[in-house]
Formats: sequence, C-alpha cells, structure tokens
Amino acid sequence: MAKEMTLSGCAASAQAVKLAKVDVICSYPIRPYTAAMMELAKMVADGEIDAEFIHGEGEHAQLSVVYGASAAGARTFTGSSGVGVTYAMEVYSPISGARLPVQMMIADRALDPPGDFGSEHTDAMSCRDQGWMMGWAETPQEAFDNHLINYRIGEDPRVMLPQFVCQDGYFVSHIPGKVIVPDQAQVDEFLPPFNPGKHILDPKLPVSHGPQIRPDQGTIMDLQRAEAFLDLPQVIEEAVSDYNRIFGRNYSPFVEEFMTDGAEIVFFIQGGHAATARHAVRHLRERGVKAGLVKLRFVRPFPSVQVAQALSKFKAVGVIETSTSYGGSMRGGNLLPEVRAALYDVQSRPLTTSFMAGLGGDVVSLKDFYWIAEVLTRAVKAGRVAKTVYWAGLEEATA
Amino acid sequence: MFNVPRERAVPFGCVTPAPVGEQPMMITGNWREWRPVIDHEICNLCMNCVVFCPDACWQLNAEEDEVVWNAKYCKGCRVCITECSTEALTKAYELDFDDGVVRLEKPF
Repeated sequence: MAKEMTLSGCAASAQAVKLAKVDVICSYPIRPYTAAMMELAKMVADGEIDAEFIHGEGEHAQLSVVYGASAAGARTFTGSSGVGVTYAMEVYSPISGARLPVQMMIADRALDPPGDFGSEHTDAMSCRDQGWMMGWAETPQEAFDNHLINYRIGEDPRVMLPQFVCQDGYFVSHIPGKVIVPDQAQVDEFLPPFNPGKHILDPKLPVSHGPQIRPDQGTIMDLQRAEAFLDLPQVIEEAVSDYNRIFGRNYSPFVEEFMTDGAEIVFFIQGGHAATARHAVRHLRERGVKAGLVKLRFVRPFPSVQVAQALSKFKAVGVIETSTSYGGSMRGGNLLPEVRAALYDVQSRPLTTSFMAGLGGDVVSLKDFYWIAEVLTRAVKAGRVAKTVYWAGLEEATA
Repeated sequence: MFNVPRERAVPFGCVTPAPVGEQPMMITGNWREWRPVIDHEICNLCMNCVVFCPDACWQLNAEEDEVVWNAKYCKGCRVCITECSTEALTKAYELDFDDGVVRLEKPF
C-alpha cells in the first residue's frame, strides 16, 4: 500500500532509491546532499536494501566507482553538492560517452565565492553540457518521483544516458513535505530491472571500456550521444505518462503551467523557488495582475518546442535565473539564452528578460516576485524590455 | 539519418572487444623520438625491461632465448634503458633508422 510520509527532499530521495532496488551506492560527504546518504547507509546497514554501499575517497572517486559498477551491469546511485559536483567534473563525460545510465543526485549548493553553504543552481548547471539528463524538483514529492522517472528513462535501450536528478539544497533537501511513497509492486510495474544489454562485464566475452579513439572518430562519438538526446523527448513523454497512470500523478513531461489562463506576464522558473512563485501568482491575481507560472522540469534535454508553445501566448516572460553565467550573451544566467533561442522561430514572440535571484542560498521572497511582476508589467506597457537582466530587488524596477 | 563512413564508425558507447595480445585500433609507436637498441651479446635476460615497460613492449622469446622489442607500441620513454642491469640497452634517435618515425621538419 502506498503511504503518506513527511520527508525532507533528501529523505524522499533515499526512499526512491530504496524502491528502485539499486545495486551499488557510492557516497562522499558534503552538505546538503549528505542527508540522503545517511538515510541510505542506515537502510543498507539495517538490511532494508540489498546494495553495496561504498565510501568514495572524494567525488571523483564516487563517480569512478559508479562508472565501473554501471559498466558491470549494476543500477547505481551517487550524489553530491556544490564544489563536490565540480570536483567530479572529469568523470561525467566518460560516463555519458560510455552510455552508462548512472544516476546522480544533486542537492544544490553555491560554488565557493569564497565560502557559502546556500543553494544555487550553478553547481549543476556548470555540468549541463556533459551528456547527462538534468532537471529540477520543486518539492520532496517531485524529488522522489523524479528519481524513479529518471532511472526508467536513462535505462531505456533507446537512451542509455546518465541523469542528474536535482533539487535545491535546503529549500527542498531539508524542508520536510508530504510525500506519497508507493508500494514496491507499483514501482516494479513502472521500473523494470536494469538490462545493461551488451554492456555487462562477462569473463566469457571480454570487452574494453573507455579505449582511446582516433581524432577522426571523435565527431562520430559525439554524434552518438547527440542522437540519443534527439530520441529522448519521446521516451520522456512515455515514461511520465506511465508514471502518472501507475502512481496517480499529474506531471507534464517538460513544462508545467500554473494559473496561466488569461495570463499576460509569467514567471519562468525551475526548482524549489517555484513554490514561492505559486503563492506570488495567487496574490498577484487577487490584486488584478494577470500573472502566471511556467515551470521547467528538464533543462537537458531542453524542451525547446514545448517551451516555445507554452510561452508564445503571453505578453512578457520573466526568467528567474538561479545560476550564473558571467559574461554570457544575456549578461545574467543560463536560462534566458535557452528560452530566447527556443522562441526565435516563433512568429509572435513575448517580451523576455531575466532576473538574477536566489543566488548563494538567498531566498526569492514574495516581495522579489512582486518586484519582478512590476518590471514585467511596465515592459508590457512600454512594449519593450530595457535590458536582458535585472538583479531582483537590487535596482529600480524600470522597464 | 546520418552517413557515417565505415572506417570512422565507433561501437556503441565505445565498448570494443577486448584485444587479445595487441590493440590494432591504437598504434602508439609513432609517438617515439628515441628507441631502445639491444645488444644481445651483453643481455643476461634479467627481465628488467620486460617488467618495467609500461606498454609491455618487451617480451621474452623463449625459443630464441632473447627479449624482443615491439616497435608498434613503444612510445620511447626509455625506462627500459634506465632499468637495464647490464647496459645492454642504449638509445638511438628515430631518424637514424630506415624505418624510423617520419617527422615534420618543424612542428606545424
């Protein structure tokens, strides 16, 4: 029987990993993600999970361990936060190049500037071009669900790609919420055992993993991964549809719309701060401001078609950037360049601009969202945006 | 959908059948600048070169009772010369050989 529990994002992740019947878990401590490993270590010690629990010497070792374990046919789980995520950077591309569906949890933490425990998406977003899937959860429930959905998609024979399953540190990872934990039979129906195909290590059929290839094979190698990403949207839609059916959820595969009927301005956001944005939208509507919310569920693959379809019906879109890309084309974060690119071929485009907010663990408050709505409302009146990036609440709200 | 030339094809995930003996997909001998040269009269078959070569380029030929060098994979690190117990191994510049590695007169 499914049961309702009150779990933090980390505890919810651990429950999902347990129900996914993983074979190998590799840990190394760094807050805030560590709380998930503490739960899993206890589950393994108590005999609740039949998994190898390996202590890595560091994050590079963590990823190397799951790389090897996945190549041997194991369903694997690892995770990290902040500088731990970037310390393992070298190993991400070999894992996706080898087409091994490793799963890594990221509970975001600011990269040291020079020292900050708070949540910020830059740690994970810095890894978005490594050939891994990537998406954020807004709540512990969504974190739980995303782990199972990502295993299913990543291990699909049409895909075979690793997945970053992300949640905001603290805001999601450490604030308890209601989580419906399904029973094992439901999970088993949704998530078949990992079938590594020819990938499995077999002494009778020895293979080399990660051999040197010639430079003239490099483009072909990259084409393989690119083609897998082309096939991904279809597989994601199937998996999310099955998930909704079996577990009684109502997820959109790529972008979720909230109170967008009749909306003229919308917040475009990924991750935990969307929870605050929903409240802001409700309050703004009560005040007669036609606001709405569009939430991104996958940033890799970036759902260009769905984003364009969703956003083209509004007058102005405010992209909430919770990561940094210093000197980038929009002079702010990483999402607005993607959003603008997705909208480029659309005939009637909304006005778009971005808002730096929620960096280094800063709260994106209701006041910040009202401030953002003010900028967007003025932009609609003026028929243009004055610039591509605003630092929310830190400057005049002039369009 | 895409036309990949056969000679550039890459197996799925770059997983290849494990080579038995040698890996023909990865010839590294052309990285070499110096090669080891052995004087079989001096060599006492101590096997240091066989043990120390990082690429297994020295192998014992038991029938001939001598160690044999594999030019295809020797990168010219010369650790065998350093470790040789009898100074039977010496280094020689690649261009001193008819089959030596061809190099550009100046780099690029």
